[in-house]
Amino acid sequence: MDSQIRKIHHQLVNKEITCTDLVQERLDALKQNTNNTVNSLLDTSALDLAAKVDAKIANGDSIGLLEGIPFGIKDVYMVQGTYTTASSDLLKNYKSAYTATAIQKLLDAGAIPLIKENCDSFGHGSSSENTIFGAVKNAVNSNLVAGGSSGGSAVNVAKDYTVFSVGGDTGGSVRQPAGYNNVYGLKPTYGRISRFGLMAYASSTDCVGPIAKSIEDIRIVLNVMSGKDGKDQTTYASAEIPQDGILTSEDIKTVGYFKNFIETDAIDSQIKSDFLAAIEKIKAKGIQVKALDFFESETLVSTYYTLAMAETASNLSRLDGTNYGNRIEGDNLKDTYAVTRSENFSEETKRRIVGGNQLLSQGFSDEIYLKGLKLRDQISENFENDFKEVDIIISPVTPNTPPKIGESLKDPLAMYLSDAYTVGFSLGQLPTLTVPKGTATGLQISAAKNNDELVLKFANFLKDTI
Amino acid sequence: MTVDILSSIKGAQPSEAVNKLFEVIKNANTTNNNTFNNNHDHAVSLDYLRDDVVINSPQIEKQIIIENFPKEKNGFLVVSKVIEE
Repeated sequence: MDSQIRKIHHQLVNKEITCTDLVQERLDALKQNTNNTVNSLLDTSALDLAAKVDAKIANGDSIGLLEGIPFGIKDVYMVQGTYTTASSDLLKNYKSAYTATAIQKLLDAGAIPLIKENCDSFGHGSSSENTIFGAVKNAVNSNLVAGGSSGGSAVNVAKDYTVFSVGGDTGGSVRQPAGYNNVYGLKPTYGRISRFGLMAYASSTDCVGPIAKSIEDIRIVLNVMSGKDGKDQTTYASAEIPQDGILTSEDIKTVGYFKNFIETDAIDSQIKSDFLAAIEKIKAKGIQVKALDFFESETLVSTYYTLAMAETASNLSRLDGTNYGNRIEGDNLKDTYAVTRSENFSEETKRRIVGGNQLLSQGFSDEIYLKGLKLRDQISENFENDFKEVDIIISPVTPNTPPKIGESLKDPLAMYLSDAYTVGFSLGQLPTLTVPKGTATGLQISAAKNNDELVLKFANFLKDTI
Repeated sequence: MTVDILSSIKGAQPSEAVNKLFEVIKNANTTNNNTFNNNHDHAVSLDYLRDDVVINSPQIEKQIIIENFPKEKNGFLVVSKVIEE
């Protein structure tokens, strides 16, 4: 699909549509939608902003490319004055006091936020069922899960309720729902986009990620949100990716894939055969394809969840109902903390907090947490060596197609294992894009750190190849 | 200290599913003995540290922080007292 942002921009500039009608139409669609994508609508502010864009156009002023473009925000981003619930009981009445850097950059470019989007509570989940707003339903088949944790964001884009949405990806939370709903979803290199104002899940892999229907829209939004930010000292300065810079892919000579992802009984047979067929098409274009060795899926999933649980236990320890949150009074202060947290966190969130505190406690930290860190180093080293051999690594997004709603929460271990193909790239902090091509849940394209441009180049190549 | 106390979650118990993940880590082979090798490169250079200055929050930010505060008594925000034990 072509760029929706450019198409709407031209329609606005040529006065084929008004921004107010555009925003009203999308708000109406969101209000009526039965996929449970909405946590809160920002209708008043969106219509006010749309009227300003219309006034500018009527006045003959020029507008920027993102000016007047309606977008969605996963409900884990601070936007001043809006409810930011993380889909949790604890924060269901919490209002952001400030705005996240990534979102502020989009607001400064004139994009119009319509909605805070449903997601797994605090990013804890792979199905967008762990939420107080009702399970998000898949855009293609409403009996299936939307994926997660940015499920509402992916469905809104797939259904054209938003032109693009901003999700958050810690272990696959943008890429997996993008794959489940047939849209593009990018996890940029860690640090390319500021995390300031993104509610922290696991800080060492948390990434801000755009979801859209075209590679060009991903590029536009990525460029606007990227950059060094004094409020997140893990950010780095990156060059803008030019539009014509990603149209040719002559510099991509070698592509690798992890053979153990494919040579396993855990993968759906159709996804496997479709993936291998995609590899053949890439080979037919004269690109060399190498089968690479990698860590077992169980090791990847366990390493990721071990570190993510340790980090989320620390990050969520501040949520005790003292300075904000749905405080429930107990017999004394300690009891107040415990009752507030016990009653307001979901079962999945509690499972992760408890797991994190368990592995960080004395007697466990050496044999689990520190060993997890060592494994992560080895995984990163493995990637570094791989990218000396290949330019791009391609893989399926998920081993299986989306499960039915209600199945994932019954079996947490199965849910964790369904992240087998996404978590490794998170641990490596690599730029990784889901493209809705190749298999039923898409393909993942990864490149070496800071090489987001190459990922988009290869996505364009695949668009014409598969 | 038990996990329910550590987590401030009443009746919290270790989960079987999570323990299975931990078992995988315990049994994994690690070849690298140096935990903090060159992949941990997120330390910030002294040159890039933020200036240590006080930035006054805008009025609207202060107002929202007060709105979010769960407990108020006689016009004052009630903060937690130190646990002395």
